[in-house]
Amino acid sequence: MLWVDKYRPKTLDQAMVHQDIAQNLKKLVAEQDCPHLLFYGPSGSGKKTLIIALIRQIFGPSADKVKVENRTWKVDAGSRTIDIELTTLSSTNHIELNPSDAGFQDRYIVQEIIKEMAKNRPIDTKGKKGYKILVLNEVDKLSREAQHSLRRTMEKYSAYCRLILCCNSSSKVTEAIRSRCLNVRINAPTDEQIVKALEFIGKKEGLQLPSEFSARIAEKSNRSLRRAILSLETCRVQQYPFTSNQIIPSMDWEEYVSEIASDIMKEQSPKRLYLVRQKLYELLVNCIPPEIILKRLLFELLKKLDAELKHEVCHWAAYYEHRMRLGQKAIFHLEAFVAKFMSIYKAFLIAAFG
Amino acid sequence: MDMDIPLPDELELLEANYHLHEDWTELELPEPDPEEYIEEDRQPASGSQSPPSTHHQQSTETQVNGLKRLRAVDETTAGPSDEKRSRIDDEDWLRYSPPPQESDPMVEERTTADAVEEKIVWRYASEIDGDFIPVTSLGDRVYAKISRVEMEERPQRLHVAGQSGGLILEPVDVLLQRLEQEAFTRALQASSRSQSDVILPETPVVHERLWVDKYAPNSFTELLSDEQTNREVLLWLKQWDSCVFGSEIRSTSDEVLSALKRHSSINQHHKLSDSKFPRNNRGSRWNNEKFKHFNGMNHENNDSKRVQELPNKSRSTGQPEQKILLLCGPPGLGKTTLAHVAAKHCGYRVVEVNASDDRSSSTIGAKILDVVQMNSVSADLRPKCLVIDEIDGALGDGKGAVEAILKMVSADKKSDMEKENVNKEQTSGKASSKKGRKSPSLSRPVICICNDLYAPSLRPLRQVAKVHVFVQPTVNRVVSRLKYICNKEGMKTSSIALTALAEHTECDIRSCLNTLQFLNKKNEVLNAWEIGSQVVGRKDMSRGVFDVWKEIFQKRKLKRQQRTNNSCGILSNEFDSLHSLISHRGDYDLIVDGLHENFLHLPYHDPVMQKTVKCLNSLGVSDLMNKYIMRTQHMPLYAYQPVIAIIVHRLVAQVQRPNIEWPKSYYRYRTMLMEKQDSLRSWYNTISPSISRHLSIKSFVEDSSSLLLHILSPSTIRLVALHLLSEKEKNDLAQLVSTMVSYSITHRSIKSDPLPSSLGHQAADVSELSFDPPISGFINFQGYRSGHHVLASTMKQMLAHEVEKQRILQASIGRSAHLTDGYNKENQASLGQETRRLQSGRADHVGASAANNGKSESIPNRTQSNPSTSSVSSNLGNGNTAAGTKLNSSGCTRRSCGSSSFFDRFRKLGKGCQNTAEAVRKEATSERDSRPLVFKFNEGFTNAVKRPVRVREFLS
Repeated sequence: MLWVDKYRPKTLDQAMVHQDIAQNLKKLVAEQDCPHLLFYGPSGSGKKTLIIALIRQIFGPSADKVKVENRTWKVDAGSRTIDIELTTLSSTNHIELNPSDAGFQDRYIVQEIIKEMAKNRPIDTKGKKGYKILVLNEVDKLSREAQHSLRRTMEKYSAYCRLILCCNSSSKVTEAIRSRCLNVRINAPTDEQIVKALEFIGKKEGLQLPSEFSARIAEKSNRSLRRAILSLETCRVQQYPFTSNQIIPSMDWEEYVSEIASDIMKEQSPKRLYLVRQKLYELLVNCIPPEIILKRLLFELLKKLDAELKHEVCHWAAYYEHRMRLGQKAIFHLEAFVAKFMSIYKAFLIAAFG
Repeated sequence: MDMDIPLPDELELLEANYHLHEDWTELELPEPDPEEYIEEDRQPASGSQSPPSTHHQQSTETQVNGLKRLRAVDETTAGPSDEKRSRIDDEDWLRYSPPPQESDPMVEERTTADAVEEKIVWRYASEIDGDFIPVTSLGDRVYAKISRVEMEERPQRLHVAGQSGGLILEPVDVLLQRLEQEAFTRALQASSRSQSDVILPETPVVHERLWVDKYAPNSFTELLSDEQTNREVLLWLKQWDSCVFGSEIRSTSDEVLSALKRHSSINQHHKLSDSKFPRNNRGSRWNNEKFKHFNGMNHENNDSKRVQELPNKSRSTGQPEQKILLLCGPPGLGKTTLAHVAAKHCGYRVVEVNASDDRSSSTIGAKILDVVQMNSVSADLRPKCLVIDEIDGALGDGKGAVEAILKMVSADKKSDMEKENVNKEQTSGKASSKKGRKSPSLSRPVICICNDLYAPSLRPLRQVAKVHVFVQPTVNRVVSRLKYICNKEGMKTSSIALTALAEHTECDIRSCLNTLQFLNKKNEVLNAWEIGSQVVGRKDMSRGVFDVWKEIFQKRKLKRQQRTNNSCGILSNEFDSLHSLISHRGDYDLIVDGLHENFLHLPYHDPVMQKTVKCLNSLGVSDLMNKYIMRTQHMPLYAYQPVIAIIVHRLVAQVQRPNIEWPKSYYRYRTMLMEKQDSLRSWYNTISPSISRHLSIKSFVEDSSSLLLHILSPSTIRLVALHLLSEKEKNDLAQLVSTMVSYSITHRSIKSDPLPSSLGHQAADVSELSFDPPISGFINFQGYRSGHHVLASTMKQMLAHEVEKQRILQASIGRSAHLTDGYNKENQASLGQETRRLQSGRADHVGASAANNGKSESIPNRTQSNPSTSSVSSNLGNGNTAAGTKLNSSGCTRRSCGSSSFFDRFRKLGKGCQNTAEAVRKEATSERDSRPLVFKFNEGFTNAVKRPVRVREFLS
């Protein structure tokens, strides 16, 4: 088992980062009044861990007994019935699923599941009617229609089930839903928090962890706790008695992006753009989300850029990312950004050096 | 054959020119003469004697009429087998004196019936011709018609002729000459038409013929289409010669000889007509005709040569490589015409099957079979050439045409070898008749014609056929032809207008001609500036997507005169044409993809990349629009899509011909992405849910993949036997194995798929071991070398072994845990936690796990047979699971160590189990149940252990 999983806090009390949030959640549960919740924050910040700990807090250890189920839902959509296949992860008291996997049929799936949960409400030990919890991952990828359909369902069935929504960015969740939920922002852990977590793990594993080294890992992790812990383990595997200047392996795709960036800096021409396109395709094929590619590319480019251009380049990066999110074919917009950058940079070069 | 041609009255008059005529008739008819010598002994005499006979028969001339008529009838039927030659000559001569006389009165008396009787005269004369060529001094052209004569008509003719009376010398001569001339020209026309009629069975409507048909090219050189294509088509057809003509001649020599003879006679006729031709006022065609006929002659000669060569020559070569010719191109460029003309040129009889007529496989198959294999019984013995027109129109169930052809081709390939053998036999044996063999194979050229080369139904055909794509003939060529036709039809046009017309119709000759004819009928004049409104209509055709891309990327060359016009007009014209082109095509998504794929390759000038940025921006707009349309279903918005392509056109279009590729990369990206996502998802499903719930595709590739790979292939583990490892190393290894198990990753040999180069350090290994969910693929980028350490393959093997063991162990534990679930869940969970903490220090995990193993097997039986002991067993179960989970988490070290003492396990297992069983149940059953037998064979290694086993142990 990886350390990421091994030292994942199981309860709200054990939380290493975001203790304040964990405590608040605990209080919330203690009052037996759990509203709908919306967790949002960057990846690797511990949203999912908190959610699971919260569920455990509510339902006790039985929440840990989960099973994976591949279910086909028959949805009656007006004139025809649609079969939607989806993987769910469920215990007796909660269901977890990723509705955006259903693609454009996601609007049916949410309603259908909630209705079904409402049908068989669990009766808890004291004979009181309890509620179930539905965890929806990646709500920001839900279509607008699905979000709209969710909003009525949330109110109608609120007695039977609570929703815990989880997403990276709350801006893609409609106002209506946000206002129906208690929004919980999970920040990315700060470097200090990461260092603390790493030290905790080091102690548990009985490792000698030089403080500079852990600081370096934290710095390189992009404030993602998951990556920090994985890096630590990788370093442990590669060379145990840690030295403070040990190489911390980086992600391959990031290396590749920086290659692309230097390609772009070297030459600005349609031919070079074509080469870059091939490389971008390579990244996309390997399931790397285009937004992240764009972000990383911008990061790499900014490193090499003259200060007076940075502002403009950032503006265009934002512009094209916006368009990319509106559109379908990410490659068009990624490439457009690269072209735009080339254009700006070349004009700059010509102006500067004739 | 007993004829005599006197023309008595004229003889004297014409004696002066006579010899001249004789000379050249003899020159021109060299072939039939010798043959006739052979056939009938009488002929040479008559032939040679005829000139003198005419001379001295002058005197008897007056007696002729009434008497001889009867005899003539007799003679013709009975045949001239009697008497002296001289007498026969006389009689013949007498008998045949009528013709001139007959013609005379006809001229005088029945001018109305001219045509009919001229015809008769002519035919009659031609009959005579066979025998007495030299005599027919005046009507030398008449003889050309010999072969068509029928015997039965003769008496009738005589009868008619006999009634004629008086002779007028002077006028008759003149008249006759004129008449014969007329007759001949008419005959020529008729013959040439009849010839073409055989090919194109159409009813010649004299006045209302379409110009398209009227001026269709008849010979190869007249073709308008691209010279190169023409020649290649011809070459292909010529490749069939040896197979088609050769075998034909060989197998049925008699028939062919006669056919040849006939051919040659036709030839002669052609030659005659050629010599005569200048007098017809079809001046321009004369050269062509001549060319063609000479060609035909050559062809014929070749054939006859081949006949002679045949016996010696074993026929190994034959049909061309590709047995089917596929002509494709836009309508109206003359594909069909080319096929017809070329086939005719090569001496084939064209049989046209229109694939849009017969749509079912069986009918068209039969039809094709008929054409290709049967020898015709009809008069025309030329081999057939099959032309399947509009084969792409045969969609749906009409795929039959393609199927039928393909079947034949494939059958042909199969039977090629044997056929060759048979052919050889045939050449040697010579007796075997060809008609006996009827394997469905192609032995005749087949030409298929289509408009859309990429029609789905043609896909299989494309692979076997020789494909020729028609290109537009140059405007100049089209215009000059149009002009010629207009001149002939007496229509006044300017070449500017014609050029405009040709451009407007995109060099579609058919449409040009139809338009011209239409205008001519209406007595309107083609006007260069109003073509858009004047021309009846544009073709509303959707073109292939490649054409669309080409149009977008290629700038049309502008004529100077057009350039002088206001540029706005050109722009709007261009805009209109592109717009209609793109919107007719539809399928904007594909078009935009193609633009994106190809536009960077264009050599447009773009120093600061501004054009590129604009292009990509507009492509982006198209993408946004597309998504918006799909989301909101506002289909009318699609109307704005073509504009985007036009923007790109304005930005990057070049004059050079673009090299366009199908947008593969986007689709490749799509499919590969789906594939990888699926593999990831299915991998997550195999991981235990407590871990996989934290994983998402995004987080894996973003944060974990590389690091996980580093962890999974550590460089620190030495490659030595397990028991030689130090304690620390064992720990590391155990950690690694447990990681692999919990993430359900293993090493598996992948034979077909070689490891990507970035990871393939050990290239020599044939069966590489690589990660089973192919996670290493996620960091494998083209042109990128990752610095990942790769384990030695023996190491991998060992790891895979360990992982397998661990997994089996866990599975059995899991089963027992699952069973105890039913009794008390809460209890077990908490207990598990407790015991985990408690037992963490214990050393003899091997034994414990073994016991655990045993129990897991024994529990089911126990619970089934004796529910009363459930409480006890549940307790026990709890203990077990606790141990199990503990083992799961931290006991892997021992696992790997324990593997060295494999036999110990079984020994201990037995003991441990017995103990537990004693506590709960009778010994026998527990003993039986306690030994788990796990058989798992994996490629590459075996963990087989010999031990006596009873059958019932398997049955449990």
